[in-house]
Amino acid sequence: MKRRPLSLVVRLTVSIGAVITAVLLTFGWMMERSINNHFVQQDVDELNSVVQALQYLLATVPADIPADELHQRLASVVTGHRNAQYRISTDSGSLIYSTPGFNLDTFARTARPVEEITIDTVESWNDHQEAFRGAVLWIESDRLEGKARFRLAVATGIDFHLHYLDGFRNHLRIVTLAACLIVLLATWFAVYQGHAPIRRISREMRRIRSDQMDFRLEPRSVPAELVELTISFNEMIGRLEDVFRRLSDFSGDIAHELRTPITNLRTHTEVALTQARSVEQYREVLYSNLEEYDRMAKMVGDMLFLAQADNQLLKPELVDIDLQAELRNLFDYFSAWAEEREVLLENTGEQVHVLGDRLMIRRALSNLLSNAVRHTPEGQTVTTTLQVNSGNVRIRIQNPGPPIPEEHLNHIFERFYRLDASRQRSSEGAGLGLAITKSIIEAHGGKIRAFSTTEATTFEVQLPLKME
Amino acid sequence: MKILIVEDEVKTGDYIRQGLIESGFVVDLARTGLDGHHLALTGSYDLIVLDVMLPDVDGWRIMQSLREARSTTPVLFLTARDSVEDRVKGLELGADDYLVKPFAFSELLARVRTLLRRGAAPVFQDQLQVADLMLDIPRRRAQRHGVRINLTNKEFTLLELLVRRQGEVLPRSLIASQVWDMNFDSDTNVIDVAIRRLRAKIDEDFEPKLIHTVRGMGYMLDVTQPG
Repeated sequence: MKRRPLSLVVRLTVSIGAVITAVLLTFGWMMERSINNHFVQQDVDELNSVVQALQYLLATVPADIPADELHQRLASVVTGHRNAQYRISTDSGSLIYSTPGFNLDTFARTARPVEEITIDTVESWNDHQEAFRGAVLWIESDRLEGKARFRLAVATGIDFHLHYLDGFRNHLRIVTLAACLIVLLATWFAVYQGHAPIRRISREMRRIRSDQMDFRLEPRSVPAELVELTISFNEMIGRLEDVFRRLSDFSGDIAHELRTPITNLRTHTEVALTQARSVEQYREVLYSNLEEYDRMAKMVGDMLFLAQADNQLLKPELVDIDLQAELRNLFDYFSAWAEEREVLLENTGEQVHVLGDRLMIRRALSNLLSNAVRHTPEGQTVTTTLQVNSGNVRIRIQNPGPPIPEEHLNHIFERFYRLDASRQRSSEGAGLGLAITKSIIEAHGGKIRAFSTTEATTFEVQLPLKME
Repeated sequence: MKILIVEDEVKTGDYIRQGLIESGFVVDLARTGLDGHHLALTGSYDLIVLDVMLPDVDGWRIMQSLREARSTTPVLFLTARDSVEDRVKGLELGADDYLVKPFAFSELLARVRTLLRRGAAPVFQDQLQVADLMLDIPRRRAQRHGVRINLTNKEFTLLELLVRRQGEVLPRSLIASQVWDMNFDSDTNVIDVAIRRLRAKIDEDFEPKLIHTVRGMGYMLDVTQPG
């Protein structure tokens, strides 16, 4: 089974939430990094100022300064730098001075000396649960013990920086999390609200009943994205309404058309039974009933055929049909009948083949032909014409005779439609012939129309040469 | 000739049985699919008339069982729906013919006789004769009382059909389909006109009259008037 796609609310909320979270995290990371860099720069500045102070001291100190005073002066270099400390030793490693309270021995010995203290060269490490940042470099002086090069290790405690950063990071985490939650909630709400028009349309659709098929959605009352949906929906309802209307018309027609023969049969039978009659008379009643039954059976058969056509159940079995041969057969079939009515049959036009259901096409053409013969005055000719043009086959069946008025022409393909309302139930059957013909032609992807002039009436069938 | 009818509709079954018995057949009637299934497989019938819309075991199933049992008994099925699928399905399952309800009994009878005849060895007769009417099949000539009668091609085909099925009522639809290959009801009286013309040539100047109209049902050719 196919899985149901994720709900739109979940989809949108998750995707928007993910993007916003990523943006917030990146932003937080950049903030943190920039603050960290700032702190490192501060530390570097502090270390450099210690180095400068020391360089100045070593450049200006008298060569013969007593050890006590030198010690004092060296200690004063870091006054004002609360966390700063340093250790200076000779090239060979003997200690000259080290800020009290700290132990930089290991660092001074192991670190690689640098040219200059910058963000990139400064090092940081942990010692006894305290964090430091510092560097080792060579400084030169000719005033001290006559030596030219001293190894200077300078460092500063960065615990308070790290502490601040930790706090900031925690803070940032909480804020980011809260922001994400707010964003998700807001997105969920917005999307849910955004679907409000859909829910409203759905509520409106629910009101549609089979007796209220004239209902339509108002495309101007919905957001632009939903206009197409409402239009498609309206079209669908339109088609359904059409089918519904035809269906109920049809049921009405059936009831109406069957009422007459049933009334006849009933009356006739009842009257026959009111008194004893001769066998001959009973037989007469049964014969008469039989004819009525035949008509009803034929009508029911025709109506079933039309019902199938309406429900797109007519599936033509396609074979190659030689239309000229078909017409010849039909002419042959109708010839005696036409001769008796003194009507001539004539076929002109090309040799044409189409793909179609032989039985159905024959039935359609037979209906048109018998109609034409029936309405042709004595001594005149029904003409059929076959023609191929641009992928279509055109079959024309033309008969001279009184014209069909314009107002009838549009309706003659409707079921039970009769040109002459007073001419009920004549030999022509129930008035379903042309409706059946039209259904057959349409099931073959073709078209049929009728036109009438003062001289002649023409039915024109167009069939595609190749059916899709 | 023994015929099995499988039909659950009580009245329809009764009337078909009565009609067939009165036409000279021996008839068994099964009113359920189960009975029909059993009888069709165990009894020996020359033909089975089968309603396919049965409430228990449907007609398709019975037909399938018959063909699986390699039975060659012809089957004529009755269907209420004239859909192509039903028709194709029935014929694919090995049915020999079908009728769509509502049908005329005369039509059913004519088809039953056609199917029963199909089973028998075909008779190739060059000459057919009814009373003093003679048909020369290979040369397609007819004569009555020694007088040659000029018939058109279709008129001869029609006459041959009537003569070959002497004594049977042939419905108009059957005539249309056998002579002109028109397998549908036309709302014209084409067949009546054709028969009238044939009658004028065959019967007008001769006695006894051979072609008879059976009112409401069709036409038959016989020496005697139908009852």
